[in-house]
Amino acid sequence: MNRKERIILHIDVNSAFLSFEAVHRLQHGATVDVRKIPSAVAGSQATRHGIILAKSLPAKAYGVKTGEASWEAKQKCPGIVLIPPDYPLYMCCHRALVRLLKDYSDKVQVFSIDECFMEAPGMLMKEESIRFAHRIREHVRQELGFTVSVGVSTNKLLAKMGSELKKPDAVSTLFPPEVGKKMWPLPVEDLYGVGRAAAAKLHRYEIHTIGDLAETDVKLLSYLFKSYSRDHGQMLWEYAHGVERSDIMTSGPPTKSIGNSCTVHFDVEDRETAHAVLLSLAETVGMRLRLANLCGRVIGVSIRKSGDLVTYSHQVKIQSSIDCTDAIYEYCRRLFDAAWKGEPIRGLGVWVNDLSSSGYIQLSALEKDWDEKKKVDRTVDAIRAKYGPFSIVRGNFVQSGLAPLAGGAGGDAGFPVMTSIL
Amino acid sequence: MKFTCSQKKFLESILTVQSAVSTRSNIPALEGILIETENDVLKLVGSNLNLSIESHTSATIQKEGSIVVPARLLTEIVRKLPDAEFEFTVLANNNVKITCLNSIVTLQCFSADEYPALPDIAESQPIEINKTLLIDMIRQTTFAVAVDEARPILTGALLEIDGKDVAMVCLDGYRLALRRGVMDTPHDSVRVIIPGKSLGEIAKILPEDDRKVSITISERHVLFDLGYTRIISRVLEGEYINYSQIIPEDYKTRVKVDTRILTSSMERASLIAREGKNNLIRLNIQDQKMLITSNSEVGQVYEEVPILLEGEELEIAFNARYFMEMLKVIDDPEICLDFTTNVSPCVVRPINDHHYTHLLLPVRIYS
Repeated sequence: MNRKERIILHIDVNSAFLSFEAVHRLQHGATVDVRKIPSAVAGSQATRHGIILAKSLPAKAYGVKTGEASWEAKQKCPGIVLIPPDYPLYMCCHRALVRLLKDYSDKVQVFSIDECFMEAPGMLMKEESIRFAHRIREHVRQELGFTVSVGVSTNKLLAKMGSELKKPDAVSTLFPPEVGKKMWPLPVEDLYGVGRAAAAKLHRYEIHTIGDLAETDVKLLSYLFKSYSRDHGQMLWEYAHGVERSDIMTSGPPTKSIGNSCTVHFDVEDRETAHAVLLSLAETVGMRLRLANLCGRVIGVSIRKSGDLVTYSHQVKIQSSIDCTDAIYEYCRRLFDAAWKGEPIRGLGVWVNDLSSSGYIQLSALEKDWDEKKKVDRTVDAIRAKYGPFSIVRGNFVQSGLAPLAGGAGGDAGFPVMTSIL
Repeated sequence: MKFTCSQKKFLESILTVQSAVSTRSNIPALEGILIETENDVLKLVGSNLNLSIESHTSATIQKEGSIVVPARLLTEIVRKLPDAEFEFTVLANNNVKITCLNSIVTLQCFSADEYPALPDIAESQPIEINKTLLIDMIRQTTFAVAVDEARPILTGALLEIDGKDVAMVCLDGYRLALRRGVMDTPHDSVRVIIPGKSLGEIAKILPEDDRKVSITISERHVLFDLGYTRIISRVLEGEYINYSQIIPEDYKTRVKVDTRILTSSMERASLIAREGKNNLIRLNIQDQKMLITSNSEVGQVYEEVPILLEGEELEIAFNARYFMEMLKVIDDPEICLDFTTNVSPCVVRPINDHHYTHLLLPVRIYS
């Protein structure tokens, strides 16, 4: 590569939750860097969210894995320090990172809480792009205190694959001419877009590395993945060759559905308690809809059984789109009553889809007009925005032992506004 | 089975029954047309179980019998035959031979035994209704049936008969269309809900002449008998919504307006409105005039329509499509729009003819 090109970077925070936590603790006078001892961020066991969300490198050396139960981690590594998650803190760090990146380029795409894509301004030579990436890596570490891995290439796929090549605190290039050498030897499941099911399928056809995939007949792949989406096979084949054409999306994709679910910290066995949990979920979903200026006309409820953890659901399409908490709750209650078979419940979920802008609502002669309740929603939303999510809660949650707002990334912390931002 | 028939007449019959033929069915025979000799005429049947159409046509029958011929192929073949007499013969193993001038086509068909029996409509006193009235009722109401299955009953039209009075009502919640009429011959009071789709097909088949259609209603089906053509539709079971409750009797704002002037203004406003996401038109009702505005990313329209106002001024918004669909079916030169508030239904009626009532729900705008 000896001419100027459009350069895409992928910036990935190393052990994000743990790093955020470590930095926060150090800033508040802690003497121990939790990144340097066996430690992990894990949900609270008391409320049954006890799985490992992020781990330190020393914990990894003991074989602790993301996603396993905390008690398993404790068996492998008895001295492990378990830290409860703090979603508001993570969001704070996330926003600081995005702000910093936007100083370098106005083309920044938030990909997840700890990953961003960005397009370097103007066209750059290879050497220039590497220097640019190092400048960002260095700046993040010095200003924010955590480290990032940066992938440098000419499209989003290769940039993302590139950032995986070396961790932590590193810059790796994966330009198209390097694909054969750097990407093809990797196991096929490392390719973005190859999930567990797809990997199993590919292994059955003796496709084990990304290189194997690149050499497979694209027609076979189209056939194998015809049930996924129209061009999934073609897409995987192109990915294996490092071909990907999408632009940096500075605004997120249009929201298709808004939903929240939660695990209840005891088995729910009666209708009233289930209704209360649905109400707390409806509070969150309604608030997120209104925050995004959306309303929807398909309302759904999912029920997760306690015994086998199997989830089943029920949904309804209604006449007029709604975003009102009471309206959502009313439909959820009816759906739940129609669907629930009486077994103990571990968790519940509520969603709204078939979304449209909430500025205009086609009225219906057959549905209740929720306008009065919507005024209450607006007032409550304003109070919560100013004084925090728990500044005003419904009376029925007081002393009920239930969260007044359930679901969201902040399941534990009960901070519901989070997921709508990503 | 063997007969000869003119290509033209036969094709006409095929096209009549074809709209009821299933395009995809669990019963393969339903993707065909049943052809049966009945004394000295030929009977053709197309059906998808919800709707069945029978058509009769004259033919010279040499040997009685019945057969089911794949509908799509038969239509294409007969359409392409020369305009002449052709001979239709059923051979062994359900093979059919069609001979016309110098062409011979053979087709693999189904035995008539595989064709489901059509519902028996119990003999009861038929309703005699003027054909043009029936066509108008269908045209002026069925566009308002519900398209989604949220309330399946609303995908049908309610046909109400009481003495000489007849009414057809469709509503999807956002609007309601009600067409009343008077029949020449009275009939006992009866209510039936007919799928909107069936009525659409019926309206297509009905030729515009002054003859009467006789309608027979049974528990599960309704039969429209046009003499040479019989249409049987399944009816929707369940309670229809008490629609008269929805139609407000009072108003605070009454607008009298020339239908043609309003329609052309609305058409222009719709052009811009439909480019936007909400397809919205706004009405600003003032003394002597009504302002119609619409805007979207591509531009805006401002229209002034002369009106006669009785009562209060009002600002209100509607879905442009619903408004246009209503205007399209009103034939009267002048209409009257009644409003109460900008979040309650608007009732539209022709000024001199109370046979038609349309109710339209507005769009609530949050700023």
